[in-house]
Amino acid sequence: MKKFRVAIILISVLLVAALAAGCGSKPSGQSGAGGNAASGGDTIKIGFMGALTGSEASYGIETLKGMNMAAGDLNKAGGVLGKKIEIVQSDHGSQLSQAAAVVQKMISQNHVVAIVGDPTTGKTKLAAPICQQNKVVMLSAGAVGPGVVEIGDYIFRDTLLDSVAAPAVTKYLVNDLGWKKVALVTSTNNDYSVGLTKIFEKALADNKATIVDRESIQDGDKDFSAQVTKIKQSNPDGIIFTGYYTEGGLFMKEVRRQGMNLKMAGGDGMLSPVLWKLGGQAVEGSMVYTGFAADPANAAPQTKEFIKKYQAANDNKLPDMFSAQGYDAVMLLARAMKDANSIDPSKFKDTLAQTKDYKGVSGNITFLPNREPVKSPVYLLEVKNQQFAIKKVIPTAAPTE
Amino acid sequence: MLIQQIINGLTLGATYALIALGYTMVYGIIQLINFAHGDIFMIGAFIGVAAASIFFHNFFLILIAAMLACTVLGVTIERVAYRPLRRANRLNALISTIGVSIFLETFMTVFKGPQPIGFPHVLNNATYRLGHTEFSSIQIIILLVSILLMVGLQGIVRYTKTGKAMRAASEDYDTASLMGININRVISFTFAIGSALAAAGGVLVGIYFNSVDPYMGVMVGLKAFVAAVLGGIGNIPGAMLGGMILGLAEVFGVAAGFSSYKDAIAFTLLIVILLVRPTGLLGRPLQRKV
Amino acid sequence: MENWLAGLINPYYEQVLMMVGIYIIAALGLNLITGMCGQLSFGHAAFLSIGAYTAAIMTRNLHLPFIPCVFAGGLMAALFGALLGLPVLKLTGDYLGIATLGFGEIVRVVFTNLKITGGAIGLAAIPRDTNLINVLVFVVLTVWAMSYLHNSRFGRALAAIREDEIAAESMGINAMFYKVQAFALGCFFAGMSGAFYAHLLQYLNPSDFGFARSFDILNFVVLGGLGSIPGAIVGTAVLTLAPEFLRFVAQYRMMIYGALLVLMMIFRPNGLLGGVDFRRLLRRRRQKAAVAGN
Repeated sequence: MKKFRVAIILISVLLVAALAAGCGSKPSGQSGAGGNAASGGDTIKIGFMGALTGSEASYGIETLKGMNMAAGDLNKAGGVLGKKIEIVQSDHGSQLSQAAAVVQKMISQNHVVAIVGDPTTGKTKLAAPICQQNKVVMLSAGAVGPGVVEIGDYIFRDTLLDSVAAPAVTKYLVNDLGWKKVALVTSTNNDYSVGLTKIFEKALADNKATIVDRESIQDGDKDFSAQVTKIKQSNPDGIIFTGYYTEGGLFMKEVRRQGMNLKMAGGDGMLSPVLWKLGGQAVEGSMVYTGFAADPANAAPQTKEFIKKYQAANDNKLPDMFSAQGYDAVMLLARAMKDANSIDPSKFKDTLAQTKDYKGVSGNITFLPNREPVKSPVYLLEVKNQQFAIKKVIPTAAPTE
Repeated sequence: MLIQQIINGLTLGATYALIALGYTMVYGIIQLINFAHGDIFMIGAFIGVAAASIFFHNFFLILIAAMLACTVLGVTIERVAYRPLRRANRLNALISTIGVSIFLETFMTVFKGPQPIGFPHVLNNATYRLGHTEFSSIQIIILLVSILLMVGLQGIVRYTKTGKAMRAASEDYDTASLMGININRVISFTFAIGSALAAAGGVLVGIYFNSVDPYMGVMVGLKAFVAAVLGGIGNIPGAMLGGMILGLAEVFGVAAGFSSYKDAIAFTLLIVILLVRPTGLLGRPLQRKV
Repeated sequence: MENWLAGLINPYYEQVLMMVGIYIIAALGLNLITGMCGQLSFGHAAFLSIGAYTAAIMTRNLHLPFIPCVFAGGLMAALFGALLGLPVLKLTGDYLGIATLGFGEIVRVVFTNLKITGGAIGLAAIPRDTNLINVLVFVVLTVWAMSYLHNSRFGRALAAIREDEIAAESMGINAMFYKVQAFALGCFFAGMSGAFYAHLLQYLNPSDFGFARSFDILNFVVLGGLGSIPGAIVGTAVLTLAPEFLRFVAQYRMMIYGALLVLMMIFRPNGLLGGVDFRRLLRRRRQKAAVAGN
């Protein structure tokens, strides 16, 4: 009797297992592991990994827009090596548990040769070992935290490294703008913000500026009244805000509401028109450093053209760093494939690694021998009349390692 | 500084209280935690934004439009997703509310995009100064409108016939229906009022923080529910009290340097209160019936 | 063995299948608490995360072998389950649910602020020790343990508490004692499930263990049929596979998922397998056979 019951339960488990496995063998006879690159066909499949729904959707949607623009541009010009670029899109709904399945699916079902994504460092770290193991190139268009490219020689990113940019910017803030006393605001549930705060802490100390107040907020917060009231007491020269644009805009609004005339500076996590859509007049004069000069008037020609094209397709909205980096990611991959004359990831990963001073729309990109990207120069943008304008061009040097 | 933080806390608390009222009324009558309530708050804010572009920026018309639209929405949701489950296991109804919540959030993401949008300029935001304390006209309006709506609600529940029916239904659902009270109408009415208040909260919060997005209702909804439990769920003054306490606790917690533990403050408070007074501050003690 | 399997099953399906198995272990744990003992828990994901972080830190930082770490993760979750259960299991019904939900959020916030868990940056470079074989073995073990418990003196005591706590107490059952035991045991399985989860994804982030995840697991159990072991298994499989099968509808996926939850609750209030008693089905068949034999 008892045995029977256990047997039935076991059978139901196995049934489910068999069902799922059975579906597996239907669509393609190929085994998914490894060496799927040269599978022929007349398209080159590049996967998009990111969220189209859930809390991280805005980063994913923008990245995908940039990728589709790049694919469109490439295909209009005849494709790459005589083949059309096809973007395979996916959506993990901002959930870690689905992200792994999504990456596996793109590799073993769709046979992509490269994956662009994820916009967040965390999910990039999750996906990178899978890509490395399956010998598929991964180029993250958003990950900025440490420990990404170290995962393997198929892993790249085209973002601006804060460890390069933030010290240079801090120097300018302290010496040229006279920010000797700084309030430092961190979003504690945002990995980007926590990492950037650490870099700023060191840079501020190196430049002999003091942090007179540290405040923490969280992504998704709307009410910053208590933190701002505290900042007011410490009377700083400026606010360094390491979070994203949504909270940045709202934070400055509260700063103005409580009658302070301080300016804010931060990283490219704040590079989005949402900053002034939410912050309004309060973010006028706020500064954002970035490799992507989102200044429609004074940017480099290729960047200007990208902004124009993006605005034409998105009722005049300004692109953010995710769309620019998504665009560059596909362009970089296409270039590497052309140089290698192959769409085999094991070949074009080497030509990709040799990218030097590539004039991308998100800045000039060079990959160091350890595959870390360096973008030079860094632009310090300022919000002026609800638009980004270049305030200062700061040259950076590659970190000596 | 102290007065400033108190004002900050009361403003935040008032918004929690407005949403908490909807939770508390629904729970009082059908013992259902309506997890979709926070999303009605979110829809209210979106309708407010949409209305702002139609009604020539008149604050009160916007408020009324959002409240009316959410009334219809709330009653519809109850009719479609909760009423068929009224006699079912409580857990089933609860999961149905979660399903509705997921549906509404995703619907708005697909429909309006995930990025937060600003609220059109509808109120002149003057800042008043009293010594070192600054408070804005919006803060005053939030406090006034919330108090007005809560007093109005208390009036309805105390002095109208429908209010009497609501109280009877929350006392004993079955007996009330035996006494000739149309339970379905009472419950629809409860959802209507609760949703209207949530919509008002959505518009006020949308204007105050100038930010409306599809996921804005999740945490606020949860905290408002905590506020309702703090005050004693099913108890209308309790919800107001709970909201204010929660708002003040969060603001002072942040001011004391615990901002990275902000979300934990509300829930720690909740567990402590539940252990000391299991039915909340103003709730009646629970009887174990044999 | 593992290589042989890798050649047999497409890695994507293997990945999804392992996820189903891992969730089954967690869902069966919750089924013990909510289904068998009738105690609401809206904070199951917190115990998943406690197990996940414990095991991950042990294998990653201390290089301990995987399987003992799975048990350690389970034990740590059980310990916290008992510590939480002792005070809060006094509460009943929704109040208990809300208190556990609160605990879940507190755990998430604490993990976001701790150094050893990597905080908001998360914990990466966890060895990939989870494979289809060890997940399947643990699923089978869990199913066996659950069906054993179900029919034991312990299981009957839980059922008595679920049906009527006061009556159970008057029959001499120490309700609190059993409730805390059931709660801790359920958390033990959640912790083990978390350990597998960590070593499958190789990366952990506190934001992954919010209350939405707790409700996911609750949905598995209720959709399958509260209190039923095969129900929890089928519910988990269906709901974990649903997003994968619904991938073609892209961003409408979660909308459909939400609507499905509502429809399922209305049209299958007792769960997919609710009301289907396998034992009775079998018994009937055997009786029929016996009658035919006569």
